[in-house]
Parts: sequence; C-alpha cells; structure tokens
Amino acid sequence: MKTIFLSIAFLVLLGGCSEKLVRVMPYEKEYFAQDKMSLSPIAERAEQEGHIFLIREASAGGESSFQGGCGCR
Amino acid sequence: MKKLLLISLLLLTNLFGAPREGDQEIAFELPSLYTPQTTLASSSLRGKVVLLNLWASWCSGCQEEMPLFVKLQKAYPKKQFEIVLASIDADPQNARNFLANVDKDKHLTSLYDKDKSLPKAYRCPGMPSSFLIDKNGKIIDVYIGSLDDESLEKLKIKITQLIGK
Repeated sequence: MKTIFLSIAFLVLLGGCSEKLVRVMPYEKEYFAQDKMSLSPIAERAEQEGHIFLIREASAGGESSFQGGCGCR
Repeated sequence: MKKLLLISLLLLTNLFGAPREGDQEIAFELPSLYTPQTTLASSSLRGKVVLLNLWASWCSGCQEEMPLFVKLQKAYPKKQFEIVLASIDADPQNARNFLANVDKDKHLTSLYDKDKSLPKAYRCPGMPSSFLIDKNGKIIDVYIGSLDDESLEKLKIKITQLIGK
C-alpha cells in the first residue's frame, strides 16, 4: 500500500514537470470557426495555387482549375 | 485501506464524469435570447418532455439540425414537449440573426448561456449536444453531433413514449 501511495505521489510530482497542454473544448472553438482561421480562406485561390504547385513540381498533371495549361500565370 | 482507496477512486470518477443517460439533469436558470430580462429555470420545465440543445451560430452541425428542430417542435404542443436551445455565442446577436432566418415565428425556446455554463457542466465532447429529458428531469438520451432525418424519426418515437408515461 505504501508503494502505491509513493508511486502516486511520484507521478503527481512528475506531472508538475510536464508541459502544460491546454485542451480546447468543442464549445470553445468559436474563434477557430471563423473564416480567417482557415488555412486557405479563398477556395479558388487555393485551387489555383495547388495547380501551379503541381506543375512546378512536375509530380502530377495539375489539378483542374479555372485556367489550364502551363501554370505560369 | 483497500476499500478506502476504491471508494475514493469511485468518488473521483463520479466527480469528473459527465452526466449520462439515467442521471438527473443539471439545473439551470438562463436568460432568454430575445428578452434578456426574462429567465427560464429548468425546474419550470418539470412535467413536460424536454430536448435541451446546446448550440452556437458558428457551429455548422448546429445550423444543419436547426430546421429539423423547428419541424419537431411544430409536431408537438409545447405543454407536452419543449425544445430548449441554449446558445453559447460570444455575441448573442449572431444567434438571433441565425434564428431569424430559420425560426421566424420563434417556435423554439431560446436561451442565452453567456458563460457556457451548460456545456461546461455537461462536459460536452462535441457541438452540438442535445439531451432528451423526461418529465421528472431525468436524462433519457444524449445526442452528440447533429441530428438527421433518420435520427429525428427515432427521437419522435421516444418523445411520444415519454409523453405517454
């Protein structure tokens, strides 16, 4: 029993050294839900950037976008 | 000593556990979303079946299910079944603006939970969260995430059963 209590106390002590992680609860995500928090807020622009990226990387034929071709524009 | 350890562990899990089916609802008294000077207490809802919905205008799932709630509330008289919405928007005007399009005739009872006290107390693991509460204030079902047409039909069966009890 003494060992259990000592282990718990040790774990609590170790917990104090750990990095404090803040968990954002689902009801606290109002700010994250805003459009400006999106990684690519303008869908068309993100599509075009992806199109150009793929052509420059020459890894794929490019995604369909509002402009086809070389991706130089 | 072992018993003491077990009891304290049980107490701790009970203390940190979220309210579940079969538990008593968490009592509240919140202001109306439309008229902040009037409040509604959970105790005043005793005697009717309640669907408590915790929502926000910025939550897409909440937006999806709201028209279904209007349809559901229209199917039952408010004396028997009442949908109670608790908005947790930072600005209540956002909630009002959203409801102005979806629930023009204000069929749904809308409250404003400025401090997010209900989702905190219920330890909501997702948004939206809905709780079906019987006439005695007992939680019958917990719904995490938005409801669709299919789940609404199942919910209707439960509501009708609970009203009849």
